[in-house]
Amino acid sequence: MFYISMFFQYLSQYLKTRLQYRADLFVEFFSDLLSQAINLVFILVVFGHTNSLHGWNRDEIIFIYGFFLVPYAVFSAFFNIWDFNERYIVKGEFDRILTRPIHSLFQIILERLELESLIGAITGLAVMFYAGIRLGLKLNWYDPFLFIVFVIGGALVYGGVFIMLACISFWADARTSLMPMMYNISNYGRYPVNIYNKLIRFVLTWILPFAFVGVYPAAFFLGKKEWFWYSFLTPVIGITFFILSVLLWNQGVKKYRGAGN
Amino acid sequence: MNNAIEVQKLRKEFKAYSSRSGLTGAFRDLFTRNYKIAPAVNDISFSVKKGEMVGYIGENGAGKSTTIKMLTGILTPTSGQISVNGMNPHKEREKFVQTIGVVFGQRSQLWWDIAVQESFRLLKKVYKVSDQQYDEHMNHVIKTLDIEPLLDKPVRKLSLGQRMRCELAAALIHNPPLLFLDEPTIGLDVLVKLKIREFLKEINEKYNTTILLTTHDLSDIEALCERVIMLDEGKVIYDGALKNLKETLGEGKQLQFQFLEKVDLITVKHLTNGMPVKWEWDEKEQIFTANIEDSDELISQVIAQVAAAYKIKDIKINETSTEEIIRNIYEKGAVEVG
Repeated sequence: MFYISMFFQYLSQYLKTRLQYRADLFVEFFSDLLSQAINLVFILVVFGHTNSLHGWNRDEIIFIYGFFLVPYAVFSAFFNIWDFNERYIVKGEFDRILTRPIHSLFQIILERLELESLIGAITGLAVMFYAGIRLGLKLNWYDPFLFIVFVIGGALVYGGVFIMLACISFWADARTSLMPMMYNISNYGRYPVNIYNKLIRFVLTWILPFAFVGVYPAAFFLGKKEWFWYSFLTPVIGITFFILSVLLWNQGVKKYRGAGN
Repeated sequence: MNNAIEVQKLRKEFKAYSSRSGLTGAFRDLFTRNYKIAPAVNDISFSVKKGEMVGYIGENGAGKSTTIKMLTGILTPTSGQISVNGMNPHKEREKFVQTIGVVFGQRSQLWWDIAVQESFRLLKKVYKVSDQQYDEHMNHVIKTLDIEPLLDKPVRKLSLGQRMRCELAAALIHNPPLLFLDEPTIGLDVLVKLKIREFLKEINEKYNTTILLTTHDLSDIEALCERVIMLDEGKVIYDGALKNLKETLGEGKQLQFQFLEKVDLITVKHLTNGMPVKWEWDEKEQIFTANIEDSDELISQVIAQVAAAYKIKDIKINETSTEEIIRNIYEKGAVEVG
């Protein structure tokens, strides 16, 4: 309960800060919308040239891409920890975090909220509807609920992996350039995994399970029965990875060495 | 539980990597790195009673900050026992930090972009302080620190002195029984310093708040703390009353003379023959310094002798300052004070 109320406290604080810079807020909102629109056009143009890939047709691929954008937007809004090393470890801000009576990871998530990223979910939904209508997909009553569960699962997969990466900072003192690389790898999850070779598929399913952010859950809505098993694994993998990352984080905090004054 | 802080054989080691020289050295570093295990805090033990104000002093790198960070639960000790407010800081961190207040002079606790009162409001929620407690306690704090007019300004627009007072207030929102201050007066002007000292004294008296303070400014310690713990290279080299330190190690007084006429050292020395006086002479400034022990009679005798013989332009009597005493200690190493 305390954590939920803290979430809303920080949220209102975040909104106040945002509203303080009104001009900035508008500019950002429009630039976000614009970049999402460009994104949308880009997707349609790029996928306009592909007809089918290993049994997936053009619209199905677009649908997967659209789905991927939604958990990704949720992830970007809540797990804004890609600069954890510079911001908290090198600058010593983590000291402050540790002197407050809230779990350190939760505090960082709260401090780094970036809700404007959620706009990306609108693009995702638009892309999904576009592709869904062309595919003639029917919407069942349980689809929205499963959609939410899968989106949360996908966002947790993302969150888990990136929290684990952030944890490296607790052990290694040098900054790592793993984060950008991981963003690249994460993009592979947007495409049907059976186009890759076995090893990459295995990695994307069990080691860096980005396939659970895009193709696996999306396959459910596309009615691909052979992937259903994986689709329903999405929340399980998400929760497992997230719990593992939190456990790793808790170990890491004990190794925290602080920055010199 | 009479002790707010109890520390036994506390130790914190850091691995210090050293790189080999040259390109081949850099390649070898890739595989095996040389490192030394250096203790930043080396088996220290001390305890602080409830309601005490203790100055924790030492040179840069002596291990002050590391100790404070272990006491506040930020760092995990390599070995040794800590009990602060009856808890192990690192093990029960979230429960523990509820009972302490921390001010790091070089790091802000407040949110940069939002108004000070918004920061306070958020911290009030973080520490689960009720409205009634908050009003009762914080209205007083705000008034004493004179930060009322600053409350609606964002932190980034405050001057250092203004910010520091707000930081202090923020650390006290939950009215903790124990307060850690790491360099709270660094870079502040005299007036703000005085105000902060006054305030610390007041909360110590009013709430019996225990205060552990590190600072480079010894005047802070002189004004606030009866007891000092002095650290050097990770070891406690002195733990006791500041007064004792001064009495035992304050090495007499200095008399400085400047004369209107030209005088040489030998004739001056001649004047005080038979008296326990050590003369020094600064040739450039033409200052003659007599180092003597602290005895009123002796001082007046020396002055009388010198004044009778020469015309005096200027005369000064200096007492050894705490700063000098401490410098002496660091130069000599450990201290033996009863």
